[in-house]
Amino acid sequence: MAYIDGLNKAFDNKVRLGIMSILMANGATDFTTMKSLLEVTDGNLASHTRHLEEAGYILCEKKFIGRKPNTLFSVTEAGRAAFSQHIQALENIVKLHS
Amino acid sequence: MNKEKAIKTLDEIKDMMSRSSQFQALSGWSIVIIGIFASVATVVAAAIIGLDMPFLHESHALVPVNVRIWTAILLALALFIVCAATVTIMSYYKAKRHNLPFIADRRMFKMATNFMIPLVTGGILSLAMILQGHYGLTSSIMLIFYGLALVGCQHYTYPSLRFLGYGEIVLGLINCFIIHYALLFWFIGFGVLHIVFGFIYMILYEKKTR
Repeated sequence: MAYIDGLNKAFDNKVRLGIMSILMANGATDFTTMKSLLEVTDGNLASHTRHLEEAGYILCEKKFIGRKPNTLFSVTEAGRAAFSQHIQALENIVKLHS
Repeated sequence: MNKEKAIKTLDEIKDMMSRSSQFQALSGWSIVIIGIFASVATVVAAAIIGLDMPFLHESHALVPVNVRIWTAILLALALFIVCAATVTIMSYYKAKRHNLPFIADRRMFKMATNFMIPLVTGGILSLAMILQGHYGLTSSIMLIFYGLALVGCQHYTYPSLRFLGYGEIVLGLINCFIIHYALLFWFIGFGVLHIVFGFIYMILYEKKTR
């Protein structure tokens, strides 16, 4: 079943899929915005973003606004390509079965 | 992965992409309240400059700017500042209540920029026309540019905001042709439309959060 190829294991999770969708649509997004959109806990979001960062799909930029830590995420070129490919694979599944 | 799951996943992606680009802290009550402010201000303006607005009957006549007109301009400016402050403060508290991002939210800046460009343009244009004695189209210009401002920021907040924008544009365009009812159009556009839209907005988007 060749059409399953192209589905990316890294995106085989609702939260990670959400993170990628947000970054693709908005460019850079901060931690708080991301958390409220995905309705997840700090720890949960942090573990998923770390996973995507290790895969080289997103960049994680930590800085301070005043005294508050502020983490800004953005998507890398590799991440953009991988996510587009993942969507393409999903569309292929829909097409092949209809 | 089967077809149903693939379709569901694609829908989730689409939904998150559009939802994430919207600024959701905009307060519905504040829209109703600015509608009430605008209605009251229209009544006050009618008392100051006279409901029939004699200078509008001859649209080509150049009427020098007098004290009453200056008062009306200042009233409109004050109304704008009070309304902008109301929406900002109430949205800030809504964001705080529901734990939505506000100050750090980049979408708010995008929305505010896209909103202010047509609005400031229209404001300066109508002020210039008033100062040169052309009053006839003032209310039309305000309504039309305000409508354009609303339509322009639809991608950054709830997209139905554009319907309020369309309403203002249509009213403004009709007003262009029957200029001596300027205050009535102002009342409908900035007062009634805001109150009605504010309530619809609350029912559509804020019901489930309360």
